[in-house]
Amino acid sequence: MPLRTDTSKGLALGAPATLYVGLLVVAPLGMLVAYSFWTQTYVAIDHSLTWENYRSAIGDPLVRHLLFRSVWIAALVTLMTVLLAYPIAYFIAFRTERKALWLLLITIPFWTSYLLRVFAWKLILGFNGLLNSGLQGLGLIHEPMTWLLYNEFAVVLTLAHAWAPFAILPIYVSLQKIDRRLLEAATDLGSGKLERFFRVTLPLTIPGIISSSLIIFIPTVGDYVTPALVGGADGKMIANLIQVQFGPANDWPLGATLSLLAMVTVGIVAVGYVLLLRFLGSRIR
Amino acid sequence: MTAETIIELSGVEKRFGTLTAVRDLDLELVKGEFFSLLGPSGCGKTTALRMIAGFQEPSSGTIRIDGEDVSTVPANRRPTNMVFQSYAIFPHLDVGDNVGFGLHRSGLSRKERRARVSEALELVELGGYERRRANQLSGGQQQRVALARALVMRPKVLLLDEPLSALDKNLREAMQLELRRLQQSIGITFVMVTHDQYEAMTMSDRIGVMFNGQLEQVDTPQTLYASPGTRSVANFIGGMNFLPARLHNEGGGTLDMEIAGFGAMAVGRNPNVADHGRNALVGIRPEQLEIAAHRPEGYDSTVQCRVADIAFYGESIHYFVEVDGVPETMTVAVPNYFHSVDFTRGATAWLGVQAASVIDLGRNRDNETQQGEKT
Ligand SMILES: Nc1ncnc2c1ncn2[C@@H]1O[C@H](COP(=O)(O)OP(=O)(O)O)[C@@H](O)[C@H]1O
Ligand SMILES: [Mg+2]
Repeated sequence: MPLRTDTSKGLALGAPATLYVGLLVVAPLGMLVAYSFWTQTYVAIDHSLTWENYRSAIGDPLVRHLLFRSVWIAALVTLMTVLLAYPIAYFIAFRTERKALWLLLITIPFWTSYLLRVFAWKLILGFNGLLNSGLQGLGLIHEPMTWLLYNEFAVVLTLAHAWAPFAILPIYVSLQKIDRRLLEAATDLGSGKLERFFRVTLPLTIPGIISSSLIIFIPTVGDYVTPALVGGADGKMIANLIQVQFGPANDWPLGATLSLLAMVTVGIVAVGYVLLLRFLGSRIR
Repeated sequence: MTAETIIELSGVEKRFGTLTAVRDLDLELVKGEFFSLLGPSGCGKTTALRMIAGFQEPSSGTIRIDGEDVSTVPANRRPTNMVFQSYAIFPHLDVGDNVGFGLHRSGLSRKERRARVSEALELVELGGYERRRANQLSGGQQQRVALARALVMRPKVLLLDEPLSALDKNLREAMQLELRRLQQSIGITFVMVTHDQYEAMTMSDRIGVMFNGQLEQVDTPQTLYASPGTRSVANFIGGMNFLPARLHNEGGGTLDMEIAGFGAMAVGRNPNVADHGRNALVGIRPEQLEIAAHRPEGYDSTVQCRVADIAFYGESIHYFVEVDGVPETMTVAVPNYFHSVDFTRGATAWLGVQAASVIDLGRNRDNETQQGEKT
């Protein structure tokens, strides 16, 4: 069929993307929303629409607690990762000529699967783990430290390590993009190194910091592998509860509701964070 | 050092590995002057300027500003400010905050700072632009912001690295005059780097001409034009026809020469040339040559020529002519005065020149190196 107008041409060109987005984003999301308004009876789904899932989920202290803790842990992970990533990105952007080599080294953890990396931390932090046996062997401690594993600390540490490259790259890119003459101009106008960093470099890398933070924060809120493996009882997060609904508890409508609640929460926190950082950036003169 | 000196460079040298970007630079700048460093791209102008600003440390030599040795003073504590080639306007700040950037440590109150900023913006004719964002500005406006940002610091010396090179021609010419007026009204010493001879000529009190890291001549534009000290300077400032000559007698104020193609003439001695020899070189500016259909009257020398090519510039016409005995094609520039002269390609014509228009360029080194190569 010949294409006659620009409009039809445009539609034809856009069709694959539309199809892709429709099948992979809109359809699953639509199903999730639909499920959240249905009810699980013993074996079947009751398709009459109801707010009951939302009411019971929001009313459940465990849900609120897990949601809050997920956001809290994700915020800690994000903060720690970005704080660690910034100096590394700065070093690669400004202090070395071997940028490619360093960037390659940073991605090395990605050469193994994520699951293996989590298990590696288990081996390091565990009761008979590398750290405990090493320190015992050196005579620095007499009995294994048990606070290392199965808690929030282990989750934050494992995730911060896993996300490091994702945090470094956006910050590195934004540092690399800074016109070096801007730094010279600041020096020329009397700024010392520290002042120059806070008044020029940092505000110009806020977009990089925002991308880094969101790249880490958003998936971390929904992570369930790490808390399941190294989190123990008080390291559990909202995703673990969601997973239970879709698995053992077999309550898909409640699982869908919890997923949507988590998504909305992440959305609100993320938008608030972006606005806050933009505002802080605009206050720097 | 006289009381008037503001910058004094002595024996300043900058090496990057095996490359010597600036060699043995001696220079004294006077308070309140507009000085330009002129030279082709890559000759070391920017490096010299950056050493004055403190962005680059000299490999050897000393730099004094207003009597104080600043060789080891970091850039942020030097009494100089710079207008960067790309302007380097802070993209995250508005115009007012850009201009006020350096006033933070001045101890001025917020109100005083604001007054200084708006005063500086008035100076560059951007009054009321405080709250504009940098990306809303045209190239010319960014240039003015950069200028205001540096001037607001009230530096002893303002450094400008090719400040106009990014502007289009009309704006550039307007800005040349404006910068010059501004400099005269505020009386701060300006040091400008440029590769554009016209820019340097129209704006500067004095020009330093640099080649290959070496300062070849420092003089007023008029002197550089009338009495260039070397062939390179003569070639870089304005157009120049070079002619080999024989020096017969160098007694008194004039030199008796036999000039290729133009015959015997008594040429005025160039005070900026020290070295004379039997193999001599002279120069004639294209605009100092008369071209006519018949042998022109009243010239010290006239020769016949053939028009090889013509270039039309609007305000002037350039004829490229061949003269018997002159090795290179000569250029004749004629003002486009109601098309008073009009030759076609291949036509025969006459050239006339006054002895006073012939510039003595000293010993002909080209000739010597050629002969040296042959032996
Ligand atoms: N930081 C540097 N490292 C190595 N070489 C440099 C550096 N800066 C300038 N150069 C070299 O020094 C020479 C002079 O450069 P520059 O001062 O920028 O010239 P100009 O401003 O006259 O065009 C050039 O050959 C340039 O490549
Ligand atoms: Mg330069």
